[in-house]
Amino acid sequence: MLREISDWLESTMLSDWFISQGVWSWPMSESLHFMGLCLLIGSVGLVDLRMLGMAKGISINAIHKLIPFGVGGFLVNVTTGTLFVFGDADQYIFNDAFRVKLVFLLIAGINVLFFYSTAFQKVKALGPDDDMPLNVKLMAGISLACWIGVICAGRLITFYRP
Amino acid sequence: MDTFFIWLESSTLSLWVRGESGWVMAFPIIIVFHALGMGFLVGVAVTINGRILGLAPKIPLTLLKNFIPVAVLAFVVNAISGILLLIGYPTKALTNPVFYIKLLCIALALWNLNWFNKAVLTNTAYDQGELPIRLKQLAVASTLLWACAIVAGRLLAYTYTKIMTF
Repeated sequence: MLREISDWLESTMLSDWFISQGVWSWPMSESLHFMGLCLLIGSVGLVDLRMLGMAKGISINAIHKLIPFGVGGFLVNVTTGTLFVFGDADQYIFNDAFRVKLVFLLIAGINVLFFYSTAFQKVKALGPDDDMPLNVKLMAGISLACWIGVICAGRLITFYRP
Repeated sequence: MDTFFIWLESSTLSLWVRGESGWVMAFPIIIVFHALGMGFLVGVAVTINGRILGLAPKIPLTLLKNFIPVAVLAFVVNAISGILLLIGYPTKALTNPVFYIKLLCIALALWNLNWFNKAVLTNTAYDQGELPIRLKQLAVASTLLWACAIVAGRLLAYTYTKIMTF
């Protein structure tokens, strides 16, 4: 099953296209992947830290304006990440570090949906010096831990090549 | 120079970093810390730059100073992990011009961040409204320097000509 998926990914036009872009396309995409990571931490990470109690004085409503830049970084990383997986599917499909990374991404995704559907409207109305409710701190902690987990597992992919 | 490389590469610490003293996870774990430190250091720096450029203007600029300790901690993590990686593979890094480009970019970007922290993030007049064009130019330059540092750092894995002297 996984063998078929991997073979199919590598047989696609996207895979051929990325591989045919020359030797610098891979390192340059990796560099973009790192820049996207920095944008994500610089926005989502800092919003999480504010919700955990750091940088009181900045309201959630104000610091939340950073989120579009983190979403931008995430989209850069989904794009470059997709190119990596299509370009060399074997290296990812059969890689334990990559699987752990996907699990962290999934938890982060569920967590963020949960945050926006249950808590965001309330915390957006809080003042700049307000402490966050415990459930919000918990969600911020899960978010930060998941993104740190994504970076750790992602960086370990190269050491867990099949 | 070769004598120095051989001495360093045969040291206990260098062998430990390369995983040649039995524990192979030392190198991957050091690299993981280096990536995390990058995320938090560049993340904080670029967010400050973005705010100086006028993005997310509702955030009072001086309050971003609260995140400077995060950047300092991330820098310490990266200085330590970077030195350990250098001890592991001194020939590989020091014989590659790209490594010096990376260090230069980081030095300039840190110098700039330090100056922003002292002279800009302390001035409450900047909390609202447009900032002087000169500060915006510095913010753009700083962002480009961090981007160059990241590209140069990633290219180290592709551009080296010699791995070991030992």
